[in-house]
Amino acid sequence: MNAASSSTWMWYASRATGVVALLLLTAVALLGLMVSRQARLADLPRFAVTGLHRNLSLLAVAFLLLHVLTAVADGYVTIALDSAVIPFTSRYERLWLGIGAVGLDLFLAVIITSLLRGHLGRRAWYAVHLLSYASWPIAFAHSVGSSGDMQSGWMLLLAVACAAALAAGITWRVRAAARDLPRAQRVHALMAELHARKPRAGAQ
Amino acid sequence: MTIPNEATFPVASPGSSVRPPASGVPRLLPRTPDGKPGRVPQDLAAHQGTHGSLPYRGGAGRLIGELQAAGLTGRGGAAFPAHRKLQAVFDAARVTGRQPVVVANGAESEPASDKDATLLWLAPHLVLDGLQLAAEAVGAGRAVLYARAASQGRRQGPLDSLNEALARRRDARLDRVPVRVVQAPPRFLAGQETALISHLDGGPAIPAFIPPRPAERGLGNAPTLISNVETLAHMALVARHGPDWFRAIGTRPEPGSMLCTVRRGDGAPRIIEVAIGAPLSVLLARSSSPVLIGGYHGTWVPASLATPLTLDNASLARAGARVGSGIVITLPPDRCGLIETAQVVRYLALESAGQCGPCLNGLPRIAAAMAQIASGRPRRGVRADVERWAGLVTGRGACHHPDGTARLVRSALTVFADEADLHERGRCSASRHAAPFLPVPQATARIEADWR
Repeated sequence: MNAASSSTWMWYASRATGVVALLLLTAVALLGLMVSRQARLADLPRFAVTGLHRNLSLLAVAFLLLHVLTAVADGYVTIALDSAVIPFTSRYERLWLGIGAVGLDLFLAVIITSLLRGHLGRRAWYAVHLLSYASWPIAFAHSVGSSGDMQSGWMLLLAVACAAALAAGITWRVRAAARDLPRAQRVHALMAELHARKPRAGAQ
Repeated sequence: MTIPNEATFPVASPGSSVRPPASGVPRLLPRTPDGKPGRVPQDLAAHQGTHGSLPYRGGAGRLIGELQAAGLTGRGGAAFPAHRKLQAVFDAARVTGRQPVVVANGAESEPASDKDATLLWLAPHLVLDGLQLAAEAVGAGRAVLYARAASQGRRQGPLDSLNEALARRRDARLDRVPVRVVQAPPRFLAGQETALISHLDGGPAIPAFIPPRPAERGLGNAPTLISNVETLAHMALVARHGPDWFRAIGTRPEPGSMLCTVRRGDGAPRIIEVAIGAPLSVLLARSSSPVLIGGYHGTWVPASLATPLTLDNASLARAGARVGSGIVITLPPDRCGLIETAQVVRYLALESAGQCGPCLNGLPRIAAAMAQIASGRPRRGVRADVERWAGLVTGRGACHHPDGTARLVRSALTVFADEADLHERGRCSASRHAAPFLPVPQATARIEADWR
């Protein structure tokens, strides 16, 4: 053990990066829901929403790696590097770290298949991408379960806010899909709407 | 793979007693005894009397070199070199170990065109010969003939007469691979290659993103050659008479002849076979009206610009046009090009598969704006809107539907700019009671089943 690992900063760094990673994963999940509906965020064009979804997911990877590495390197408790990826092998907090490892594995699978998307069929990529819906709740369970911080105070509020935001996002996604017109009727509907609309003088 | 030297193969089939015909047109369409274009369908006996027996090459790959020497390009509109398409399928079959499929594409989903239906009606056996030769060349085990159901002013539907022709060939034991006739749904995009694959695989006739290309993974994931029916008919002639005969007419980069659908007034179009590179003026009406070249994904060209051109891509490029599938339409003087274009664009927008954003969101807006320009008293700035939207949708779909529509619209706004000025002052130069000239089907897809 070197001097750094015996101090407490790495412990705090691990907790802080974990919280930031949860926030990022929540944002990535919400953006993913928007991308899947081709929705727009404020005035951003759709490709920018997709770009944000992708870039924030890579940022989340960076924070997750820092989160894992600082936790492993920290000397306060002993966590083996392999137990960060192999579920339920850690001697410390076997259940909650195991759940974290599952969430990390699922997330990495989603990221890696997305990076290799050009080489995969769309269906294979999409099937793996659906794992996101499992990986977020698992990551959330790990966050709340393994950390005493998140079980009270403003951190608890943060966790509840994340969960509420994602629940709202999924509700929006499902309801929007239910309102979808069949493919054959989309153009007809838009044409009818455009012809009904009065010409706007001087409009863009 | 090595392409065999075409000189090592006999140009005429061994048992053929028919001497090579004169190299001029018509080549594909039947001739009457005095050499004029015939209008009677050629049955198997008449076909064999004119063209002789079917010159199988006795092995896969062998015809490909001859097609390369002939310089045959696809007549479906894209003018892609035929030999490269066959080679891609041949190679994909070797790499994947899957037996290829050949599809004769006679969907002809462009409403203004009638040349493929006419060819299938008058000379079905030439197309079916080409289909067998193409199947042999790529080593295919089965073939599909994909044709539209409706035919303009003919008593018998083309599908019935094609099945009849295939039955005659079965009796004569001509065909080596079985041919299935499939009806193309009456959708504008039904002939697009990936839409065709989707339909033949039991799905809706809707375009998909490529890759994979049909040549590598098409029908049932097998390497698939999709060739326009006219291209196949030319293949049957190249196999019989050789590349030099084929090149005797046409231009050096674009040899041979092609079928054109010519509309110069109301009523049925004329299907004329011309040598590529022929003066465009032979296909135009004697008027100063603008010409639509290449159909509904084509380009309006003013008469003054069109008259000196020749019918080949090198020449037409000067007017920003392409030969496409050989549609040449002269606008009658009493019709308004903006009204005509607006109703075509409305049809094209309604024929969007509604799956890519630029097409789904862009084409209806362009169509609504064109309707405004056509109907008189358009609001200011609407032409600039159309220009901008046309630029925004181009190159961003799974297929080229938005690109082709944008091309048509932009050329209309350029060629009919004076007319659009007139419309802005509440007037129109066309006679008020003239019926729409360009043919536009009224039935568009309303439910998913309409794409099947």
